Parts: sequence; C-alpha cells; structure tokens
Amino acid sequence: MDLKYSDEQILLREQIQKFCISDYDFYDREKHVHSDLGYDQNKWKLFADQGWLAMPFSEEEGGFNFGAIELCIMFEEFGKHLVLEPYLSNIVLSGFILDQSSYSMKSNYISGLISGNSQISLAYVEESRTYDHLSILTSVENNKLNGTKNLVLNGSNADNFLVTVMIDDEFSLIVMKNDEDGLSINNFKTVDDKNISQLSFDNVTINPDQIIAKGDEAKKLLQDALYYAALCISAEAIGCMTACYEKTVEYTKGREQFGQPISNFQVLQHRMVDMFIDTELCKSLLFKAMLDMHENNNSKYRSISALKHHVGVLGKKIAEESVQLHGGMGVSEEMSIGHYLKKFIVIDSQFGNSKYHLTQFKNIDERSK
Amino acid sequence: MELSFTTKDLEFRDEVRDFLANEYPSHIKEKLEKGDMLSKQDLIDWHKSVSNKGWMGYNWPKEYGGTGWSPAQIYIFQNELGLAGCPPFIPFGVSMVGPVIYSFGNEEQKQRFLPDILNFNTWWCQGYSEPGSGSDLASLKTKAELVNENGKEYYIVNGAKTWTTLAQHADWIFCLVRTDSSGKKQEGISFLLIDMKTPGIEVKPIITIDGDHEVNSVFFSDVKVPVENLIGEEGKGWTYAKFLLAHERFGIASVGASKRQLMRLKEIVNDLDDESLTDKVSQLEIDVMALEFTELRLLSELEGGGNPGAESSILKIKGTEIQQRLTQLFVEAAGEFAVPYGGPEGFMSNVKPNGPEYTNEVLSKYLNMRKVTIYGGSNEIQKNIISKYVLGV
Repeated sequence: MDLKYSDEQILLREQIQKFCISDYDFYDREKHVHSDLGYDQNKWKLFADQGWLAMPFSEEEGGFNFGAIELCIMFEEFGKHLVLEPYLSNIVLSGFILDQSSYSMKSNYISGLISGNSQISLAYVEESRTYDHLSILTSVENNKLNGTKNLVLNGSNADNFLVTVMIDDEFSLIVMKNDEDGLSINNFKTVDDKNISQLSFDNVTINPDQIIAKGDEAKKLLQDALYYAALCISAEAIGCMTACYEKTVEYTKGREQFGQPISNFQVLQHRMVDMFIDTELCKSLLFKAMLDMHENNNSKYRSISALKHHVGVLGKKIAEESVQLHGGMGVSEEMSIGHYLKKFIVIDSQFGNSKYHLTQFKNIDERSK
Repeated sequence: MELSFTTKDLEFRDEVRDFLANEYPSHIKEKLEKGDMLSKQDLIDWHKSVSNKGWMGYNWPKEYGGTGWSPAQIYIFQNELGLAGCPPFIPFGVSMVGPVIYSFGNEEQKQRFLPDILNFNTWWCQGYSEPGSGSDLASLKTKAELVNENGKEYYIVNGAKTWTTLAQHADWIFCLVRTDSSGKKQEGISFLLIDMKTPGIEVKPIITIDGDHEVNSVFFSDVKVPVENLIGEEGKGWTYAKFLLAHERFGIASVGASKRQLMRLKEIVNDLDDESLTDKVSQLEIDVMALEFTELRLLSELEGGGNPGAESSILKIKGTEIQQRLTQLFVEAAGEFAVPYGGPEGFMSNVKPNGPEYTNEVLSKYLNMRKVTIYGGSNEIQKNIISKYVLGV
C-alpha cells in the first residue's frame, strides 16, 4: 500500500503547474475563449514540444507509455486553471481508441496527434440522453453512411473524426476526414466555452480501410475510452474544487463587512471547511480509481463510477457555495469563480452524470472488487 | 504507487484473522450477533483475550511492552477487528492515559501503571468534561490544591466531572484539574491520576435517550490525592491533553466497523424493492470508500515518515457522520417496525414484536450513536481546527 506520488510524478506536476501559473492568466484566457479556435494555438504547440501530447501513447507509437496516474496529475492541474486546450478530445478519447485498437493505419493518425499537427474528434453521441452509446442509428449501407452525431467535442477544429456506426448490424468504429462529400458540420459553444459540433452524414462514402474496429472490439474500445475520459475529467474536477475553495478562502479574507473580514464569521468558516473536506474525499476516490485503472484491476469501472458520482454531486455543490460566498461578485462574468460553476455543470453531464454512475456503481457486481 | 499491501503485511493480516477465528471469545460473538448487551465481565474477557495474545499494546512502542507495530500493521489490526464485529476497545487505558504515562510520566509511574493497562487489570475512565466545560474544555473548574500534611504532599480535589463513560466500572480516573487560576486558562491545568476508591468520590448515573447507562457524573469532595499521582509538571496538563488527542488517528474513522454494518444494511435493503433507499445506501457506500482511502492516504504519509496534521479531524467528522447515517438508514429500512422499543436491555418479555428480526435494535443504535458527533471534540470543534490550521482563517 503506497499512495504517494513518485519523484518523477511530482516533477511532472511541478512542470505543469509552472506552465499553468505563468501562462494561464484568467484574463489572457478570456481572449482565447472568444476566438474561433477556442484555445491558444501557441500553447497547443508548447504542449507538443513538452511531450505532453505523447504521454499516454505506447512506446512503439512514439509515446511515453504513461498511465492513468500521470494523466490525472495533468488534468488536476488543468482543472485549477480552466485550461482550454483540446487534450481530452484529441489525446484521451481519440488517442486512446487509436492506440488500443488493432487498426493497421493507426500510426499515421497517432503521429499527427503527438506532433500537434492534426486533430481528431470522437463522434459517438446521438439523440438519446441515457448515456447508452452502443444503441445507435447511424449506419453504413452499401458503403454509404447516413445519420447524425451530436455534441462532438472540439469538432470545429478536427481534421478527422472517429465515428461510431452500424455496419451490417455490427457496432463499429470508423475514421473519416472532415471534408468528405455529404458531411455537414454545425458548430456550437458549450456553457464552459468549449467548441462542440453536430455532424450530419448524407450518403457519405465509406471504404473498408476506414474501419478501425468492429463488434466486441469496437464496443470495448468505446466503453474503455469513455471510462478513461470520465476518470480524467474527474481529476480535472478535483483541480476545479481545489481552486474553488482556495479562491473562496482568499476572497473572504480580503472582503470586509461590518468592520472585519467576513472570513472571521464561523458560519462561513464551516462552509469553507465543508468544501475542503469534500475535495479531500473526492481526492481519495481519485486515488482508488486511478490506481485501479493503472493496475488494470477488474474493479476499475466500479471505482470510476464511485468517483464520477461524487465529483458530479460535490463539485457542483462546492461551486455553488463558492459563488454564494463571493456574494454579488460570484455571479459576475469577469470573476473566474462563476466559470468554475459552469465547468462543473459540463463535468457532471459528460461521460455519465452522477445519477447514471450511481446506477452503474449499484449494478456492477461487487465481486469485481 | 501501489494499491495492495505487501506480502508481509498480508501475512500479518492472516495472523490477525487466525486470532479472531480461534481466540476471540465465542460467548461475546454470540451475544453481539443476537444484538444483546455486553456485561462488564464480557468486556473484560474480550480485552483479556487480546492481552493474552500480547496485542493490547497494539499502538505502543516495544520498550513499554507494546507490539511496536508499523502504522500499516496498526491499521490492519484495527480494520480486521472492525470487520469482524469486535467490540471497540475501551480506549481510556490503552489509547489515552497509557501513552501519556509513557511519554510524560516518571519511571515509578511507568512501572506502577503500564503493566496493568496492558493486562487490562485496571479499568480507566476519563475525567475531562465538566458541567460547565464541554467544547470549551480549558475553562474547567475542578480544583486541586496542594497541601502538606505531616511532611507528605497531597492534592485536595473538589469539583465535578461529567459524561464520564463507564465510570461505574472504573478503578482509576485520569483528570484534568485546575492547579492555578491566576494566568491564562490553559496554563493552570494539571494531569492527575485518581484512584476511584478514594473517599469523597461519588458516581451518579446519567441515563441517555436510548435508555442506557453508559455515562456518569463524578463528584469530588475533598478527595485526597498523593502528589506522586501528578503526571509530568504541574500546569502542563493542557499540553498532555492535546498530545493525547493527536495520538489516536486511525481508530476514529471506524472504517472496518462501518463496512461491516454496510454489508448488513445492503443485505436487508436488497430485499425491500425500494429504489430511493438503495440509492442512499450506494451513496453511503461511496462515502465509506472515500473515507477508507482518506485513511489509507494518511497511512501512506505516516509510513513514509511524514507527520500529517488536520487529517484526523476529517476522519473524525466523516467517520462519525457515516456511523450516524448507517443507523438512520437501518431505521428507514425498518419502517414502522422501528417503533416498538425495548431499549438497550431488550424487550420486557421473551416475545418480540412482529416485524423482521433486524428491526428490534435499530432505534437503540440510532439513539446511542447521536453521541459520536458530540464527543471527542465535537464535529464543530473539528471544523474550527481545520479552519484555523488548514484554511488559515
């Protein structure tokens, strides 16, 4: 039993912290939020130069073969500063699927991701709001793809898409370019200022060499990628929670009312302590989940569901408390605190909300512990 | 990082399990399974079985007769006891006064008191709270005045202690007493050991809302205590009391015992076809998992030679909240069959009321467990500690 980070992991955290603190000023971030890209191209290049985009890929693909612990360290730091760069969509979702697949042409795509020169988004959400992403309508018949995909993360910046489709009644994953005939893309912003897209396929021609995986392999690739993403944004959530209580403590120390800092009031102190405790509890669940993932234990799905449920419920609670304790300033767009609240709304809804993961936790056989 | 314990630690765990399977007194096991109360003798038998194994000093260094176990071994030991449903140790000797004596007492005091604590020959109780001093413990008023009688020095103790757990069974009480009221309130406090048989001590029961006699008032009128019973220096009692509060970190969370209760609750709830209740139980199960890993994070830090701070306050707050929520959910699961009440002693006749077997004891446990968020530094005091030492406000 050892729940301490190694020296290398501590070094990685310090490296990312250094970047976030020196290069992630909130007001500078605001400029990029409202650009078409939605993030800073120079920073994305820096991510590539630092080797961060190569982190989780296997060594034969030119990666560092880092596991869940390193990714969680990275996402926790991203969360503290509301980092915008599209790491989740490219490296975690698409990267994981490609890296784990037996697709013969995957190296071309992975090298583009690692260099930062090309971007790939995963299109897997349809109409249903039940998080059952294996029951889909999008299908390929006579080599023609028809259907619609929603909420495609970073879709407007993607050169390629990984798409879940039915081929001959078999669940499959395919890859396609963003400029295929018959593909139309509508772009939106999410409440946390990210780009998402809706893809419509109207008789898009699909060739057999675009098929990444079929049947059980495809299902497992998608399921595992979504759990991996759930783990990463839970780590991000914990970074957000940490920022929320730290910013709130700082604010209440400086804000004077009735002739004294409002942090002197016990009723506020105890609410901030609750925020701190809830953050620590979620952090403990993160240790369990990321180690289960790292060690590839059978209990990993159950641990991730436990974690995702708790960050969903407690993250929003902490952010709401933070807004309340900031008073009127809490609801002003120019302060960062309200942006954390919006972030938590997205985190809870993505990759299974708290209700969904509670059900998963309940239903996954406990013997898988 | 590594999730599993080392092979050596797992072997140790098996040794503890062997002990529990073979040497844990069966009459106690049977009583607890039936939900019956344990007598004084039962509790003595339980502690003696641990003493005989040489494990009573599970959290003590070897030089004082303890096991000298690593933090991981202490954790595993406590966790296994909880999972097996053993009664919690009476903490006042082994976890409270014992460590104070071996840390601050003189050689004569160590010789005199420590062996009897390890063999459970003396039953200790704790004289901290007073009628006017609860969370504000340092305001205590029980007075100890140094007098000289025929060349021999004594403290004359006057005052009252309250909420004294199982004082009716105790041979000795360790007390915080005021030896000086001139300076800061923390500075005039001393740590005194008092034989419960000394003339002038009166123990009166306090019956709690579950109907049980667990706590007492203890009155002192002109109680004569030899000066040899003072631990450490006069006026340093507050320092020793704070040391004592920090000493026991793992026990407070009661993760093992809560996991056992949770398993029982899940068995019951699974048969009820009540989705809102199973949701609550699952949420609680995740909270227990979070608490378990908070404790393991603390363990990792201790094993690495670190000296963590406010974590014990988190463990106290969440551990006790979870213990209470478990009892609440048992009551909810019992529905209206929770209402017939036999109190801790059981029902007056041998005929138990209708309803499932598990419903008989749910309310006495619910009522009894209200204490856990109040004692040991109330949860509000724990939040003050975190606020001051972690958040810095």
